[in-house]
Amino acid sequence: MKGTQLGEFEEIVLLTVALLYDDAYGVAVLEELSSRLERPMSLGVVHRTLQRLEEKGLVHSRFSEPMAERGGRSKRLFTITLAGEKALQEARRIRNELWNGIPKTAFDHLT
Amino acid sequence: MNRRNKNQLQSHSKQSGIQPPRWAEQLLIRITAPYIRDEILGDLHELFQKRVHRYGVTKAQLLYMLEMLLLLHPRLWRKPGQSIHIDTKQTDYSDPNPMTMVSNYAKIAFRKLNRHKSYTLINVLSLSLGIAGAILTFTLVKYHLSFDTFHADYNRIYRITTELRTEKVTYSTGVPNPMGEAFKSDYDVAEKVGRIGFLKERVVSVSPQKKFKEDVAFADADLLHIFNFPLLEGDPQTALQERNTALITERIAKKYFGDIDPIGQLLRIDSSLVVTITGVLENLPATTDFHTEIYLPYSNLQDHSPWLVEKDWWVGFNKEMQCFIKLKSGVSAAMVDSNILPAISAKYYDKENARIFQFKLQPLSGVHFNPKLRGYMEKKNLWTFALIGFFLVVTACVNFINLATAQALDRSREIGVRKALGSQRGALFWQFITETALIAGVALIIALGLAYLVVPTVNQWFDIELVINPLTDTYLFTFLVGLLLIVTFCSGAYPGLILARFQPVLALKGKLSQQSAGGFSLRRGLVVTQFAISQLLIIGTLIITNQVRYSEQANMGFQKDAIVILPIPDHQKSKITTLGTQLSAMAGVQNVTFFDSPPATEFLASTGIRYASRLKAESFNIAYKTGDDQFVPTFKIPILAGRNLASSDTVREYLLNEAAVKALGLAFIQDVIGKTATINGQSGTIVGVMKNFHFKSFRTAIEPLCLTTRREMYTSCGIKVNPTNLKATLAGFEKVWTALYPSSVYMYRFLDEDIDRLYKLDRMLLRLIEGFAGIAIFVGCLGLYGLVSFMADQKKKEIGVRKVLGASTSGILWLFGKEFSRLLLLSFVLAAPLGWWSMNKWLASFVYRIEIGPGIFMLAILITFLVALLSVSLRSVKAALVNPIKTLRAE
Repeated sequence: MKGTQLGEFEEIVLLTVALLYDDAYGVAVLEELSSRLERPMSLGVVHRTLQRLEEKGLVHSRFSEPMAERGGRSKRLFTITLAGEKALQEARRIRNELWNGIPKTAFDHLT
Repeated sequence: MNRRNKNQLQSHSKQSGIQPPRWAEQLLIRITAPYIRDEILGDLHELFQKRVHRYGVTKAQLLYMLEMLLLLHPRLWRKPGQSIHIDTKQTDYSDPNPMTMVSNYAKIAFRKLNRHKSYTLINVLSLSLGIAGAILTFTLVKYHLSFDTFHADYNRIYRITTELRTEKVTYSTGVPNPMGEAFKSDYDVAEKVGRIGFLKERVVSVSPQKKFKEDVAFADADLLHIFNFPLLEGDPQTALQERNTALITERIAKKYFGDIDPIGQLLRIDSSLVVTITGVLENLPATTDFHTEIYLPYSNLQDHSPWLVEKDWWVGFNKEMQCFIKLKSGVSAAMVDSNILPAISAKYYDKENARIFQFKLQPLSGVHFNPKLRGYMEKKNLWTFALIGFFLVVTACVNFINLATAQALDRSREIGVRKALGSQRGALFWQFITETALIAGVALIIALGLAYLVVPTVNQWFDIELVINPLTDTYLFTFLVGLLLIVTFCSGAYPGLILARFQPVLALKGKLSQQSAGGFSLRRGLVVTQFAISQLLIIGTLIITNQVRYSEQANMGFQKDAIVILPIPDHQKSKITTLGTQLSAMAGVQNVTFFDSPPATEFLASTGIRYASRLKAESFNIAYKTGDDQFVPTFKIPILAGRNLASSDTVREYLLNEAAVKALGLAFIQDVIGKTATINGQSGTIVGVMKNFHFKSFRTAIEPLCLTTRREMYTSCGIKVNPTNLKATLAGFEKVWTALYPSSVYMYRFLDEDIDRLYKLDRMLLRLIEGFAGIAIFVGCLGLYGLVSFMADQKKKEIGVRKVLGASTSGILWLFGKEFSRLLLLSFVLAAPLGWWSMNKWLASFVYRIEIGPGIFMLAILITFLVALLSVSLRSVKAALVNPIKTLRAE
């Protein structure tokens, strides 16, 4: 299924969701990402990606209790699903294989 | 989220103090799909609170809005994807999604309009014509209102004008020469005072071969600080300060010098003055009444025309010698009018003259609108234009309402189904408004295109420079948006309400009749309005046409055909005599005369008269014309008593007109013959009385006039020619003339063209009304055609039955005809008195005018009737000729 293919940004977001474990929601993901990638990004992008990930079944969401600092709204907390974990593993595997396959001399010209 | 939670938490958030912008939240609530709404708002809120701490409130709010913008994406309002699993208890699906609703409206509207092509076409066409008319009138009105409003602080700039209060008040744009100085030195209310003298049609030469006829102005340096005429080159501080310098506009610089730098070039003005160009002005905008493009220092006027600037000469003024002031801010013009200007009159005149010479301020923005002070037109003309434009839009809207309500019946099934499925009135209403907006929007775009295409023609007619560009012109843009809204609501609201009000059961059964589908009587009323507007415009067109034709063709009291007028640059006796003899010797020339102004002009100076042995000067002013002994024979002015003037170079004898004799209080015209009269300070014998002739336009009554010989005043030469072989004659004139006046520019004109120019504005009004009447009638006919089509559809069966029972075709035609004839007559009853009243008001500005006879009204109703008949019969004949079997077989 085409939908399970992970985009690069999707992969990063999914990794962040996994990293934050039980506290992955819009703002948290956004802040984590912008501090790690060292560039500002908009809530919209994060949201849409999370939505997409959920549609693909890679994350699962539930609502928290409403909270005062959010103007009385609840968070939507995301946790990674089994399918999500598998997709990450798969992506990692492909990368590792690629890395392993690179001949040593390929980077020589840099020196 | 359930309601209890919401309430509880809203109270929480209130405690936290600073809130994100409420409107933004509301907006998001409206467009966000319910299942992610809480999440998004919550996230935004949280971010906002953090940012308030970090960057402060303003920045946080800005960032909030930025985030909101970046959130805009179909995912925001789209329904959740399939594989999503959410707890439906926590979401709220009851709110309809406005985005989908609007797109659905648009889709339905497109289908509907596509299906009823002729209906759409009629509506779009009539609306675009109406709107195009409105756009044109709007631009025209705005153009005229914007005259001379581009000057900085234009509402503090005034022109001092003169009111001469003799027996009747005469107004002049000019003031006595010392006025400017007196105003500046005696009172401290003006920031700047600038005198300016306009001299028309001077000969400006760059080199002996390169000569131009140009208007020039002698102006105080301060005038450049009053008016906003920016310098492209040269120093505004020193411009017009030094003698023998000049400023010219970019256009003139291009015309005279091409690509050569004009600064430092020399210009010769007439024969007396040589000036150096020290500055180049930006080209004058179209919306100014100041068309002079060459400015010279006021001090140079002394060298050029010393008689215009005699010192302390308070009792004479010239309409071209004007004075502009810029009041200090806070000084009211009313105060200057009531205190300062009368004080100036009192100080510089003796007691009697102080009463006669009164001065008033005229605001700069009023210069364009006061015909008494040589303004272009009266403001009320503009309102007439605006009203006509409004009428056009109304007619187009009426069409729309008529057709839409008539068509409502067709849609009854659709409405029925919609209602049965739970549509609310509001929703149906808005659906219809969307449809209207679509039509109006398309019409607006077409109208813009039309207006854009027509503008060059209109500019040519009116001799103006309109520009239509809604992208740069914010006024026009606002107007268009406003017009779109108004048209949409005015024409969409009523049919929308009708549609929304249908009873679903009746509608589904198809039992709605014409009657219940939106008041047939209302539609009648609208048709009557439409016809009334068309007839009003037709009546206006007819009356103005008649009056203008009357003014142009009526006997002015003198001969005006086949007379060529040449200018006389100087009045040396030898030259005038030579020109006279050479011209009369030419073939095809019947008469030659020299004079200061042709028999009929827009303006004519008037002066005081003292008659015979009477001690005091008369209380009326007499118009003053000079011409040689050939003036009367050339223009074939009848002499009622006495004889024509004898040939002379100076004032010796006078001819009066009948009006003058009457004003002198004499019973018989013979009484004045042989008496002396002192006119303009020079005495002479009255040798004859001329029959009254129109020496101004038909707007003014024939006033007292005198004619005398005085060579130094002559500025033109009138030649009565034989119209055959005119071309050769004119070529001959040029040769003779240029040989005599090598340093001047040859120009000729015909007297009758001159006279036609007196009615320029009336002809413009006529053209406008003609065009708009045409549009109004056409739009009305379109509506009528549409209406009859629907009627014919509705009555298909009735016609079939009637035909089967033996009705004749003409009988069936009458079925349609009688209805519309009745409406037409009714509208005539409305339009006729209204037209009579308004046109009488217009005609009142003419002293010599046509009578509004019944013929005009008959013609108006006849025209409308014929046109209406044509559009009604087009469709009704078809309906009447249909084989009844086709219409009856359906059941």
